Amino acid sequence: MIKKILNKFINNDIKEDKYAYSKDLKFGTIAKDKAPDTWVRSTCGYCGVGCGLYIGVKDGKPVRTKGDPSHPVSHGTLCPKGLTEHEMVVSSNRVSSPMIKKDGKLNAVEWDEAFTHTSNKFKEIQNKYGKNAVACISTGQFLTEDFYTLGKFVQLGLETNNYDGNTTLCMASAVMGYKQSFGSDGPPSSYEDFSYADVIMLIGANIADNHPILKLHIAKNKKITGKKPKIIVVDPRFSKTANMADVFVPIAPRSDLALINGLCYIIMEQGWEDTKFIQDKTSGYKEFRKHIMQKYPPQEVAIITGIDVKELYEIAQLYAGANSALSAWTMGVNQSSIGTDTVSAICNLALITGNLGRKGASPFSITGQCNAMGTREFGFTSSIPGYRNFANDTDRAVFADIINVPSSLIPTARGYSYPQIIDAIDRGEIKALWVTATNPLVSFPDQNKLRRALKKLDILVVQDAFMSETALEADVLFSAATWSEKEGTYTNSERRCNYAKKAVEPLGKSMSDANIVIEFSKYFEGKYELLFQNFQSSEDIFEEIKKVSAGQLCDYSGMSYKKIEELGGIQWPCNTLYPEGKKRLYTDGFECKTEDGKAKLLALDWQPLAESCNQSFPLNLNTGRTVEQWHTRTKTKTITLLNDLAPQAWIEINPLDAKKLEVESGDKITIASSRGLVDGLIVKVTQVVREGDCFVPFHFSEQLINAVTIADFDPKSFEPNFKQCAVNLYSQKHPQGIKQEEEKVVAEIAYQSTKVSQEYTVAEVIKKEN
Amino acid sequence: MKTPIDSFIDHQALTGMQCGNYSIDIPKPKKDEQYRFHFDATACVGCHCCEAACNEQNNNSADVKWRRVGEMEGGVFPEVSQLFNSMSCNHCIDPACLNGCPTQSYIKLDNGIVFHDDDVCIGCQYCTWNCPYEVPVMNYDRGIVTKCHMCVDKLEIGETPSCVQACPAGAIEIEVVHKDEWIKNDMATQGVAPHLADINITKPTTRYTLPTDMPQYKPADEHITKPAHSELPLVFMTVLTQMSVGGFVALFLGEFLSLLGFSNLASGNYILAMVVLLPALLGLPLSALHLGRPLLAHTAMKNWRNSWLSREALALGLFTALAMGVVATYFFQMQFLNILLMLGALTTGVYGIYAQSQIYKIKARPSWDRVSTNKRFLSTGYLGLLLVGFILAIEGFANSSMVVLSLTLLVASYQFLVIYEEKIFYKYLSDKEKNYYQLNKTKYLLENNFQQHLKIRCFTLIGFGLVLPLISILFLANNTLNIAIITLGLSLLGATTSELLGRYIFYVSVVPLGLAGNFFAGNQRGRDYKENGHD
Repeated sequence: MIKKILNKFINNDIKEDKYAYSKDLKFGTIAKDKAPDTWVRSTCGYCGVGCGLYIGVKDGKPVRTKGDPSHPVSHGTLCPKGLTEHEMVVSSNRVSSPMIKKDGKLNAVEWDEAFTHTSNKFKEIQNKYGKNAVACISTGQFLTEDFYTLGKFVQLGLETNNYDGNTTLCMASAVMGYKQSFGSDGPPSSYEDFSYADVIMLIGANIADNHPILKLHIAKNKKITGKKPKIIVVDPRFSKTANMADVFVPIAPRSDLALINGLCYIIMEQGWEDTKFIQDKTSGYKEFRKHIMQKYPPQEVAIITGIDVKELYEIAQLYAGANSALSAWTMGVNQSSIGTDTVSAICNLALITGNLGRKGASPFSITGQCNAMGTREFGFTSSIPGYRNFANDTDRAVFADIINVPSSLIPTARGYSYPQIIDAIDRGEIKALWVTATNPLVSFPDQNKLRRALKKLDILVVQDAFMSETALEADVLFSAATWSEKEGTYTNSERRCNYAKKAVEPLGKSMSDANIVIEFSKYFEGKYELLFQNFQSSEDIFEEIKKVSAGQLCDYSGMSYKKIEELGGIQWPCNTLYPEGKKRLYTDGFECKTEDGKAKLLALDWQPLAESCNQSFPLNLNTGRTVEQWHTRTKTKTITLLNDLAPQAWIEINPLDAKKLEVESGDKITIASSRGLVDGLIVKVTQVVREGDCFVPFHFSEQLINAVTIADFDPKSFEPNFKQCAVNLYSQKHPQGIKQEEEKVVAEIAYQSTKVSQEYTVAEVIKKEN
Repeated sequence: MKTPIDSFIDHQALTGMQCGNYSIDIPKPKKDEQYRFHFDATACVGCHCCEAACNEQNNNSADVKWRRVGEMEGGVFPEVSQLFNSMSCNHCIDPACLNGCPTQSYIKLDNGIVFHDDDVCIGCQYCTWNCPYEVPVMNYDRGIVTKCHMCVDKLEIGETPSCVQACPAGAIEIEVVHKDEWIKNDMATQGVAPHLADINITKPTTRYTLPTDMPQYKPADEHITKPAHSELPLVFMTVLTQMSVGGFVALFLGEFLSLLGFSNLASGNYILAMVVLLPALLGLPLSALHLGRPLLAHTAMKNWRNSWLSREALALGLFTALAMGVVATYFFQMQFLNILLMLGALTTGVYGIYAQSQIYKIKARPSWDRVSTNKRFLSTGYLGLLLVGFILAIEGFANSSMVVLSLTLLVASYQFLVIYEEKIFYKYLSDKEKNYYQLNKTKYLLENNFQQHLKIRCFTLIGFGLVLPLISILFLANNTLNIAIITLGLSLLGATTSELLGRYIFYVSVVPLGLAGNFFAGNQRGRDYKENGHD
């Protein structure tokens, strides 16, 4: 304070110290205070877009990030999180040493103590309750090398297959959907397709908030094709992304599967389908057609989706009429109890219109986390590394052979999925949980149930670079290095394996996740020797990954760190056939991994929500993200520039609902479901949500909306239905909440008793609608 | 095979746009031309990349934003439209920041960029009041105001300004514009965007591309109505100087009347003059406290040709000097010089207070930009009259005191009328009124946040400014001088407090023109935007 006043009076301008500019040879004029000693070419560690960047390092600390203009993903741009990513590394929220909880308090210890304590506990539990009493929940944030090491250790070292990733909370439905439709996981598309498509259909994807750099590829479209693409945005909420739509399709919450099936109906009814493509490249058309024509006539679909028949025809015409249509989706589709089938339905629509394997023509899942793809390919959770099947004897034998372990060690089935692990903990079947780089105490649905379950654990081990809410509850904390402190690869949504170079030393005693696992393995007799003896560097691990992937769809065998860096990432498959990778899967001559090499058209059904709005809980809650924050805010809450713009959660409600509650923007209300409640949510009265819907971002532990969400999971992917559940809102003036409106109930009953009416011709329906 | 590139300065990213590239290919502005921003609101997705890139480039902390993204929403679901407005500086053709700056810290460069010359800025922040877009922003770390300079150092050598480089939507571009043609042909249609100030205030150069069908947009921070900074040093400085000048009016009138032959009235003396000067001597240095660089306060007179702030500083500076001369000439009884100096002090003083009130008559601050501001500032001078009346009573000049107090009542009543007029103005504020959005927020502040303050202000003015002086006259007329002195002392104290309170309300209730803000962060401006922002 005194110094401040003194400074004020001596007019000591600190311009030269802090606000001057200097010349940088690589990037030109930059702030002198942040002028780095060196630039390290790397990849962003936040989301699945996978932008190329340079990390500026000064005195051994990251001080800047700059977009890499030669990188094919981001072309020199970065989102606000990427631009401030260096601050994340030096965040006050970092964990710099392993810790053990004593008397309710986490104390810093040496690694040896942490590993000895944990390994003893794990062994004790496994001896007493069996190997599977230890479970591990991994992440989408690791480098592929970390994933591979962890997976290998959990499955073959700890010999428990109760191992799953938090990717089950985000991408699992896309994985299972692709497997259903194409016989294998693997997004078939490229970001480049955004620049070539005539029609871009974004379904449940808010790229403006979550993947802003993709807007660059859409912006390039006009420069390349000479005309702006038609953008269809399918979303129950008018997101920032909806704002860029030519056609906004405000579907009823989670009715997208019905919508897509309805579009297929119209396309086949009108003869707009691509007969030749269907014949050459797909199987199951007959059953598919019969199913759709029987069950998804437009008038039926109009009732489910709330989109009128005329508009359905217009959308179908626009999509089918396009020479190339790209249909991209994210969490709106995946995070659903019918997510897997919705993904396949989107593939169906693409397939019957011949939109696959061509420039600008494809279905395309956009990944959430920076390396969700890496864990899908080599994480050893829902499949054996290299897209291999647990149930397949050959797959197991081949894999065991490559990594030189007895094939009997390879599990014959996938263990519990993430939600099943939580249930098993609740039942007392699992006694030890090892959580890595994820924060279930914010991100998992139905928090009250989760927290009850976790209390039953004998030991909770958390491995993280940040003091997350879950880390605070840990018995043992493994302090991990984070982005820029370790070397390896991230694979993005378009199958591009990017090289993330190490720029600085890990903070304090923390180690890279792979090194933590390798060191930990030494505390389990013979496991290090069996699994990790040749893992001396990240590149050694990558070499094994290459071997494991050789000949598989996700083929990395033609890659090397050097080559990846030089090309700005390589899209797999990369082998002798495609030495620089491949932009698209399932192009002419590139067969699907199905029995007949053809993509499957699947007869899929829309299902009503498990929990629909009712008398006590008449509103529907939707959750999602905002551009300023990353997931559970472990990385972003200390970055002032970002956090100031979204420092707490808010609830978006329609003015009509605000009127019922007599609240205005800025007021505080309570939200509750039958499972839990959140107090003191700031109201944002807005027209971006319809009456009866509300939206709350899930980032904030202080306003923990996942205390309200439902633990309803997709039976195929185990992904939670995060985006719809029945809630009520309570204001000071209306502590009893919103009363259900009569006609709404009537409409629902009416719908359920409606039998599909086949008598109307389409023309009649359109006439009626008009 | 390609290798990582040594320098990106000339490397062309494959965006086909200005964005992504670290170099920019744009012709230098010719005569009568300048650089300007183009903002494509139909491309912007509101991702805040430009804000982050700007702060990183200029090493500004999060509370010093040169570029901000405003958010608006309009329509009815599902026919909704969101509008984002990313704005740094509009590099105006007639910049209000430049015109008002007392130290000439702003330079309109030949290429049109409005450049802030950090070295001569004293941190008075008058530009932050004047700019109708709230562009200049105080950097407390440095004690001066800073603003966007379109990365001029970069642009001049063909490097892309940071915001332009960073935008993933290609929504921000640099263009060259012919100034006269812009004003004459395009500014009225392409220089406007929802919720922005009247273009005629500063003639901004930013070109907007807007959606074709625009609903009525509401700013995302419509619900945030926060009081402005109280500017306490200025509250005291303005009231105290107005008191002194009012006192000199009384002194001058006394001398004038005695010249006219009213010889039974008390004549001025050096004690009286000294007491009257005292408030100004206290108040003027106080004003320097609100500066970022108080020791450079004297340079505030530099721009007397254009800036009311310079004129105020100059006039009130002169007033103080002349008033000190008056004190001296009373002491040494140099009557002729005394009259001359007094005339000078009166002229500079009254002009100074007028200039002082003109400082607040700015388009960017609608609640100040009213004639009532001049009236308010000038009529606060009744405090000086009251002071003189009080001293005269102490000195035993009951009759003279009564004369001055009559005048006090007259001027104080006028002050009361000013308050009343304001109350009526806001009570019947019509939504057709220009700047209704801001004025209505001022109304909200006055009728909610400061309702009690305003009530106290009115009652204290009536009680201490009108009733007590009236009673004092009664006691004076009754020759109960001691009681009169007490009531007058009370009156003086109470009325001064009332005026200080009134001035406080004047400062805190202003709502400036500016960019639409954010739901949480508001306009990201003002000292109280973040309570600990500059610590």
